[in-house]
Amino acid sequence: MSDQTNNYDVLVVGGGIAGEETALNLANIGYKIIMVEKDLSIGGKMIHLSKVFPTLDCSACITTPKVSETARHPNISIFTNSEVGEIEKISENNFTAILTQKPRYVTEDCTGCQLCEEACPVSVEDQFQYELVGRKAAYIPFSIANPRIAAIDIENCILCGLCEKVCPADCIDFTQEAIKTKINIKSVVMATGYQIFDPTIITRYGFGKFKNVVTAMQMERQLVPTRPFNAVLRPKDGKMPDNIAYVLCTGSRDDTVGNPICSQVCCMYSTKQAQLLMGALPMADVTIYYIHVRAFGKGFCEFYNQTVGMGVEYIKGKIGKIDEAENGDLIVRYEDIESGKVKEAKHDLVVLATGILANRDYQSMFKNIVLEPDKFNYVKQVNDLSSPSKTSIGGVFVAGTASGPMDIPDSILSAGAASAETASYLRRAYNEK
Amino acid sequence: MANINPDFAIELKKYGSVNFNACYNCGTCTAVCSLSTEEDSFPREMVRYSVLGLEDEIQASLKPWLCYYCGECSESCPRTANPGELMMALRRYLTAKYDWTGLSGLLYKSLPMSIIAFIVTAIAVIYYSFYESFNVEKIMHFGHLFEMISIAAVFSIILVPNIIRMWWMTVLKQKAKVPFTAYFKSIWDLIVHMFTQKRARDCDDNEFRWLEHLVLVIGYLSLLFTTVVLDWFGTDNLFIIILGYIESAIVFIVTVDFVSSRIKQKKEIAKFSQPSDWFFVIWLFLLGFTAFVVRVFIDLNLIETNLWMYLIHLTVLVQWALLIVPFGKWTHFLYRSFAMYFDKLLKEPVKA
Repeated sequence: MSDQTNNYDVLVVGGGIAGEETALNLANIGYKIIMVEKDLSIGGKMIHLSKVFPTLDCSACITTPKVSETARHPNISIFTNSEVGEIEKISENNFTAILTQKPRYVTEDCTGCQLCEEACPVSVEDQFQYELVGRKAAYIPFSIANPRIAAIDIENCILCGLCEKVCPADCIDFTQEAIKTKINIKSVVMATGYQIFDPTIITRYGFGKFKNVVTAMQMERQLVPTRPFNAVLRPKDGKMPDNIAYVLCTGSRDDTVGNPICSQVCCMYSTKQAQLLMGALPMADVTIYYIHVRAFGKGFCEFYNQTVGMGVEYIKGKIGKIDEAENGDLIVRYEDIESGKVKEAKHDLVVLATGILANRDYQSMFKNIVLEPDKFNYVKQVNDLSSPSKTSIGGVFVAGTASGPMDIPDSILSAGAASAETASYLRRAYNEK
Repeated sequence: MANINPDFAIELKKYGSVNFNACYNCGTCTAVCSLSTEEDSFPREMVRYSVLGLEDEIQASLKPWLCYYCGECSESCPRTANPGELMMALRRYLTAKYDWTGLSGLLYKSLPMSIIAFIVTAIAVIYYSFYESFNVEKIMHFGHLFEMISIAAVFSIILVPNIIRMWWMTVLKQKAKVPFTAYFKSIWDLIVHMFTQKRARDCDDNEFRWLEHLVLVIGYLSLLFTTVVLDWFGTDNLFIIILGYIESAIVFIVTVDFVSSRIKQKKEIAKFSQPSDWFFVIWLFLLGFTAFVVRVFIDLNLIETNLWMYLIHLTVLVQWALLIVPFGKWTHFLYRSFAMYFDKLLKEPVKA
């Protein structure tokens, strides 16, 4: 297996914005990169967002050029729907790992014509639209996916073979199996990103039970150009909401869910969504219930002030519980901290500003060596002041939210730091030869 | 203007508060509390007062008594600041502040002092029985007399003045205008709350705890009545004898559950126990249990030869009546119901 094609300079784990930025920086210097993405498409979380704060630039318009550039770069090999494991450090500048390409059941000849989607009789919840709508078991992940190749969701597939019959390129292949390949690399960048907090564990908020309680990601999907309903609607009855509440710090700064730290983005993305909602639903009232508004970044405070000026109401006080009225409206109970009194308010849609948690997948990727976590389970930055991308393993670097909660600009900055440190690590070994 | 006193936290810690300084004022505790209303919002307000050390505001407040400690605030607190236990500590603190003798505070804050007090009372009982040359009849007669005298004395010297002090701190000092007739109009509420704790039923998922507590209160009060007024240990009336057995059994069986839940610490309310909590439940158990056994000894004609059994009961009784009732947790029986009463008075609309 010492095939020449299995040798790379850098393994980038994760194809989100941080992974892409790192890969592009290093590839442009001339290093050979292998990027491993567990999802069907690269682009990470950012490709699903509507706008970025505080500039309200289109998120997809910023990220898709990077996605395309990464996909087309001659020095970058991308493996989507793949996992990496058993990363082993032999010596400095000498790592091995096992790459597992999971079967997609569609070959790369797919033209993305979507005929299989039309033919497929199975409907399941669409994870890329955050369960707001359905998709087929044979499907293109999402409209701006890269690679734009269909996949078969084999867990829900009934093996009827209709997709196989309609496929004009004959690229549906149910005989595919997982392929394991040993790869040799000189260094590793962990850009494994974060996980979104699952609010079902806070039963007081009734997420999952009350249909009109949605997550911020579900609201985000309703605000993007490729949105499922082409309008902002509340899930229970399809009514256009006109009184929307945001519950900040859902799953962040909360000991009871084991995540005592600030997620750093929820205040601002809620503020951003509030502004977008004022555009999408000009008559709607938006209320944001907060503990503290953390508008700490460049232009954030101005953005917040602007939002207040636009008429979004900010109420200091965290929502304690949510109850559902008969018509699907929601009654939120909170203490209005300004007056010190318990109050109840009625809203027709409640958005939980869900926080972000560490993605702990990296913990099982290493063999014979441990990539140390910090106390919140992010990849530990051993020298976060002077060498922010260094980890507990020499030659393994960390980029983006794998090292802690941060917003998009900070993730890109972090990726810049990781690529510079990786290049310096590789170059030093070259010089020493 | 109030002066901020961060050292108040050190004082409150002695009364059993846990980590309340971690509070970041999100108000989750107040919002999840099923007893909290727009008029009476707590516990965050009390947490804030405690963090700032505003003792005057705390002493004027009835809110600690309006909480029946279901523990939901502590379970939901994102900072693990234990607001429920702070309310409990504030009740201990207020009990100490209402007490004009200052002994409550001393016993709450210092376990060694409590132990010394318990030992001194035990020695006094033993000394007394020496003095009476272990004469069963005389000692048991004294025991009965002691019950009556101690109830009268503790009430008139300690508890009534303390309630007047509570009234002064929470009503008079606040310069609230309370119409005179309100004192009579609300008296029914006082009685209802004193004997039923009906407000505790509004605590979430609290039906069983409320019932258990109600059974204990009724068992305890009727046992008290049976021994003091009906002279359970001296009577030959079969009905009274059986009644006493049932009542004392209720007391010690229910308290076993209370003690075991404090040992298991599964429920939020039972997670933290101060010495005063242990003394209260254990002595209540001992009281019921020893009374039961003493009556068994009497019925089997063993008491003449086994005076020690009665002496154990007498010791427990003396400690209960002289330490726990006037200066310990027993007082919550009065303060809680009077707090409801005063609260009602303060909310009585003043006629213009």
